[in-house]
Amino acid sequence: MIENVSQPVSTATESLNAARNIIPNQEYLLQGSVMDSAVEVLLHRLRGLCDNVDSGPEPFYDHEMCFSIRGAGSMQPLLLRVRRALDYQDMPWQLRYIGQPEIGDKSRPTIVRNSIDIGTSATVVEFLTELGCRMDFEYIVRGYMFRKGRMKITVSKIFKSGQGKPLDNMEALSQSYLVELSVLAPSGQDAIAEDMRSFAEQLRPLVQLEKVDCKRLQHVP
Amino acid sequence: MQREEKQLDSALEALIVRVNDLKTAIGGMLFKLEHEYETLNWPNFLDNFALMSGHLSALSKLLSHDKMPNLRNLTVLPLLLSPERDEELLRLTEGRVPTFAHDLVPDYLRTRPEPEVEHRNLQMEHKAANQSYETAQKQISAYTKVVSQVLDIVSKAREDWESEGTRSATGQTSSVADTHTLVAAISMGKGLKVMVPPVQGGPQGMMVAPQVGRPGGSGPQQQGGGPMNPGQGPMGPMGKAPGTIKTNIKAATQIHPYGR
Repeated sequence: MIENVSQPVSTATESLNAARNIIPNQEYLLQGSVMDSAVEVLLHRLRGLCDNVDSGPEPFYDHEMCFSIRGAGSMQPLLLRVRRALDYQDMPWQLRYIGQPEIGDKSRPTIVRNSIDIGTSATVVEFLTELGCRMDFEYIVRGYMFRKGRMKITVSKIFKSGQGKPLDNMEALSQSYLVELSVLAPSGQDAIAEDMRSFAEQLRPLVQLEKVDCKRLQHVP
Repeated sequence: MQREEKQLDSALEALIVRVNDLKTAIGGMLFKLEHEYETLNWPNFLDNFALMSGHLSALSKLLSHDKMPNLRNLTVLPLLLSPERDEELLRLTEGRVPTFAHDLVPDYLRTRPEPEVEHRNLQMEHKAANQSYETAQKQISAYTKVVSQVLDIVSKAREDWESEGTRSATGQTSSVADTHTLVAAISMGKGLKVMVPPVQGGPQGMMVAPQVGRPGGSGPQQQGGGPMNPGQGPMGPMGKAPGTIKTNIKAATQIHPYGR
């Protein structure tokens, strides 16, 4: 009987450990930007390079809110991101945790960071607030998404958004579009990073996709 | 390269054999015409033609063969011309060409145009010489005009092409500063926090504080001047907050009735 009871417990732990190797919880990431004047050229090039050639780029229009919660002992606040599609209001919202990015040395082609996301209902904001999270900042992101195998490429414009401000009167953050190349994969699949490096090469010199260390950016005025 | 030369050598050898066959056939027919014209009958004479035509078709077959090098692409170049009598040459050509000299070589090696071409060229030159000065000038200017127009088109196309090349080469399409601005904004909210009105942070903070022991929770009156203050800039929560946390933690636990 005892064995019978302990059996499922150990297998559950094992299967959880096994699942950890399957769940794509590592995000490989490269970032860059393209000026407004050249974005058309980039979109054209991406249309040619990526998988969704016939369907064209997929537009998206999202609102992202970043919540933070300060753990009891740690100095670093825990960041949680909530995203909702403004163009498809009835779609589920998304809650996402992004871990500290690992920049690594030069031999590593991309940033690697933990990423866990889940679909939620619209009450997630209320839920987080009740948990003790506080909204740190929010923004509107609007752009296009491309696919190339497992790689995801987004070209998007970041807008400042404030509560009560009309959405059609948004202020763009800069004169450039943010370009991100990312892959979600289970841990230990570093080979995909090489594919990303070679894909990024094909977008040069239009866009310089690099590992951007945001920790260093914190201290830049 | 050596393989090609060998191929050319063997091809030429085969060609010479065929041409010699043809030559003997023609020679034989001429001999018959000159010496046997009294006994020669028509079918016999036609046989000769059939023989020659057979040799000719064999020759053309050889020329169109796959392995035949393209002779049209090769040039025969006279290296040395001499007006003196050459016995060896005389023997090789069966007494037809005694010297390898300037008057014969251009015709034999076709280093000058064929007579027909030469004739037409001469006609053209004659026509040009008889042209009046005015018409010549007119034609020259028309020609110059056309050429300069073509040159314009070409150089314009080149300019367009080059400016496009340099534009992408100098990397004017992306800016590192913009990348940094955007990445800092989406990862840390840099430049975005200013827009959040303080009113929004207030009630949230109040509810939050007791559960996590946040400094802000100890008193709503402090919240207004806390990290959400736009004047403090985007660094507020990360940079400055820890200082206040330390001093306030005690107060929070003491004051709050539900402290853990």
